[in-house]
Amino acid sequence: MLTNSEVRALPTKLVRKILRSGASDAAVRLNASSSTMIRFSNNDITVSNFFRETVLEIYIAFKERRVTGTITDLSQPSIEETVERLVSAAKTVQPSDVYAPLPRGPFKYDRRLLRVGKVKTEPEVLVDHVKASINSAISAGAKRVAGSLNATVSKTVLCTSGNVEASSTKSTIALSVRAFAADDATGQFATVAADDSDFKPEEVGSMAGEIARMAMNPVEGEPGIYDTILGPMTFAHIVDELGSAASAFNVDIGASFLVDMLGRQVASSSFTLTDDPTLSNTYGAEPFDDEGLPTRRNVIVEKGVLKTYLHNSTTAKRYGTVSTANAGIIVPTPFNLVVEAGDRSFEKLLSGVDRGIYVTNDWYLRYSNYREGDFSTVPRDGLFLIRRGSIETPIKGLRLVGNMLRLLNSIVALSTERCWIEWWEVNTPVYAPWALVSNVEFTKSTL
Amino acid sequence: MEDLLNYAVDYAMKVGASYAEARYQSDYFEEFTLRNGVPEAPAFGKSRGLSVRVIVSGSMGFASTNMMRRTDVRDAVAKAVTLAKASSRAVKNAIRMADAKSTKAEYVIKPRVKPEYVDPDSKVELLKEVDGRSVSAASRDGVKLPTRFLSIGYMITEKHVVTSEGSSVRSRIPRSMFSYMLTAAKAGKGTVQRFENMGESGGWERAERWALDERVPEEASKLAKILTEAVEPPTDTLDVVLGPELVGIICHESAGHPLEADRVLGREAAQGGETYVTRELIGERIGSEHVTIVDDPRLPNSFGYYLYDDECVEARERVLIEGGRINELLHNRETAAEFGTLSNGSSRASLYDVEPIVRMANTYMKPGDHSLEELIEGVRYGVYISSYMEWNIDDRRWNQRYVGLEAYLIRNGRLVSMLRNATIELTTKGLYSSIDAVGKDVRFYAGYCGKSEPMQSLPVWFGGPAIRLRGVRLGRSPPSDG
Repeated sequence: MLTNSEVRALPTKLVRKILRSGASDAAVRLNASSSTMIRFSNNDITVSNFFRETVLEIYIAFKERRVTGTITDLSQPSIEETVERLVSAAKTVQPSDVYAPLPRGPFKYDRRLLRVGKVKTEPEVLVDHVKASINSAISAGAKRVAGSLNATVSKTVLCTSGNVEASSTKSTIALSVRAFAADDATGQFATVAADDSDFKPEEVGSMAGEIARMAMNPVEGEPGIYDTILGPMTFAHIVDELGSAASAFNVDIGASFLVDMLGRQVASSSFTLTDDPTLSNTYGAEPFDDEGLPTRRNVIVEKGVLKTYLHNSTTAKRYGTVSTANAGIIVPTPFNLVVEAGDRSFEKLLSGVDRGIYVTNDWYLRYSNYREGDFSTVPRDGLFLIRRGSIETPIKGLRLVGNMLRLLNSIVALSTERCWIEWWEVNTPVYAPWALVSNVEFTKSTL
Repeated sequence: MEDLLNYAVDYAMKVGASYAEARYQSDYFEEFTLRNGVPEAPAFGKSRGLSVRVIVSGSMGFASTNMMRRTDVRDAVAKAVTLAKASSRAVKNAIRMADAKSTKAEYVIKPRVKPEYVDPDSKVELLKEVDGRSVSAASRDGVKLPTRFLSIGYMITEKHVVTSEGSSVRSRIPRSMFSYMLTAAKAGKGTVQRFENMGESGGWERAERWALDERVPEEASKLAKILTEAVEPPTDTLDVVLGPELVGIICHESAGHPLEADRVLGREAAQGGETYVTRELIGERIGSEHVTIVDDPRLPNSFGYYLYDDECVEARERVLIEGGRINELLHNRETAAEFGTLSNGSSRASLYDVEPIVRMANTYMKPGDHSLEELIEGVRYGVYISSYMEWNIDDRRWNQRYVGLEAYLIRNGRLVSMLRNATIELTTKGLYSSIDAVGKDVRFYAGYCGKSEPMQSLPVWFGGPAIRLRGVRLGRSPPSDG
């Protein structure tokens, strides 16, 4: 078994070994992480988890013949066997359509991004966070509270055949709280941070508890078309879908509603979205992508117009452009999605709605057609009828049915206030405002 | 490995645990993909490591490590115990495990054709054959398939679980998988898409039985027909025949998930939500007498196959809904203790580094006595929905929606035209109570069930026969852009 320092030196050693076999390209990425996750329900901690894992990701290319491998078995024989197997497979595998060499370094990385985060991970501290969030939710009106808290410390080491030898460390914390004022009166809120000073478990608990209290005694909602305010949890979900749809790989396979939309209006002019891993000390900050390119701020949508897909070197070559430094060696992905702030408060958004619905959270978004963007999602937690600029009553039993492009093009206004959201339903951190969207359709069960 | 697992359990008990279980798990996979007719880089991977779960002072601690030295394992145990102790000051209800008999067992699925010995090139060639035939099949109706994504592969899962109560269970299960997504397009008619998974336990001989070079082109041909022929579905009240593919997902979403005991206890409240099922609802009617839904991990060749769960409890059939009445929850030992019963062997973890929780395996509706033709013949005015794309359900598992892909209008017992986006949107009780007849031919479909945090994705089957619903109104369809 290798020592810790030997493990850290592995990427460089393996890249050299792979290149000696005649490979044109190699990238080896090692990620060693320790996570503590506390889960709670009914105001009680149900399990405390500690995950310690070191993952080795290997990419080998003989020009167009490419393979990827992932292992967690870091014993010497396992590593050697895996590399031999991957090299052998790469030599004989059927070629892909393009060959894009890995980017040539060395590169300069933003020093602020090489060491992200300042988070305490001692169990006692984390248990105190949990208790604080539960207590604040109860103070705000909840009877019972559930959720999860996850603190992670990780180190990434990357070596590529393009003269990249880089490493970074990161510590982050994430909290999701669901509050129940009654079985059918719930509220949920979540936050992520890379610094304890930005982490406010009490506020997350209060927010969830307050929504739950407001959701007491809901009445059946009426299906129809409404002007709708999407809270940050739901708007982050929509934006997360947009970020995924912007991946050139997903565009290629038809798993995106942004096919043939470059340069075209995909959202209203009040919507601008960037992917910004260069925001230091945020949850999604990253100094380099999986090909070793320094990350950069990419404007995906500017005033409603789609400006770029997200690329790695291979998808960029296929599209005749340059990488946006969003590798995933096979699938480019966003890191840290930021919606530009709007120009009004939540109260102002609300006051502009004569007859509408406020969706605080949703889950289970599924497409009938990814290519067209036809989807539905199920509001959960506080769902409210808005009348003449005020929240009138909590409602239940409705489903939001729509089309992504139509919904994004129907954004009327965004709030000035934004929240960092990442939770069970939102994979990429999103800095999301409240959004007022016109003409959103809601349906309900017919029997 | 047994020594290391026993060491972990013994050490946990020595440092204060009242219960300990250690699990070694290894998951190997290979996946070959074809993107629009072009091979994409294949992926190979192996995840393996050890986890330990302990109860200390009524609090549950879990730790995992992929560093397998004795010192690493000891550290993991110490971490689990420390975490449990730290949390115990905030725990009001002590966690207990229901009684279970001590078990020693070993079971292995021996593949007839070892998937690792099948030439990778032949797997890619098969994908190319399927791809090419699908494009040709659609083009016969003047329809293009501008994007196709096909994936084929296998995984081998090895587990060894040891508990402080003397149980020890080892298993090795190979599984083969295939999935595809096709987009069909025709000028003026927009696009339609089809996504489908296939998966079975066993060797590569299972994958060879799928006849992919016929089945996928048939689906491509259906997509072409939907684009060229299908019309808007009716909006008035009618009868609905649902094919096995829809019945499977319905059973999974509105019978399997809501009857997971950890959901009833609120353990998933902040993630996948809770359930309409309460302790008081057990024994109560939720559907017509034709509805019996079970979950059975032991089905031969099933994607969700296992004989002992990850707490070393022997698997058996779980009758979730019997004759329309809620009958039995899915339990692990922890939830069984809460309910004053015994585990029915539903505890599973997806990988070595996550805790075992209550999971479905193979969930399906028991067959009745009608053929599909008889179900349709019994409808004067209605629709038959054979496949679907979009689906979802609320987090209490009550309001659900399924958007049909291949669907037909029924007039006087005959299929008369194709329908586009025929949708059902019904409550669980509304749906199950409307069933007046159940088919006799059960079919199973593969899927990956997601649950918990960290997300655990597990291979499952869901299925059933065709069913007939009387007197329902279709839900609002998505737009059919043309």
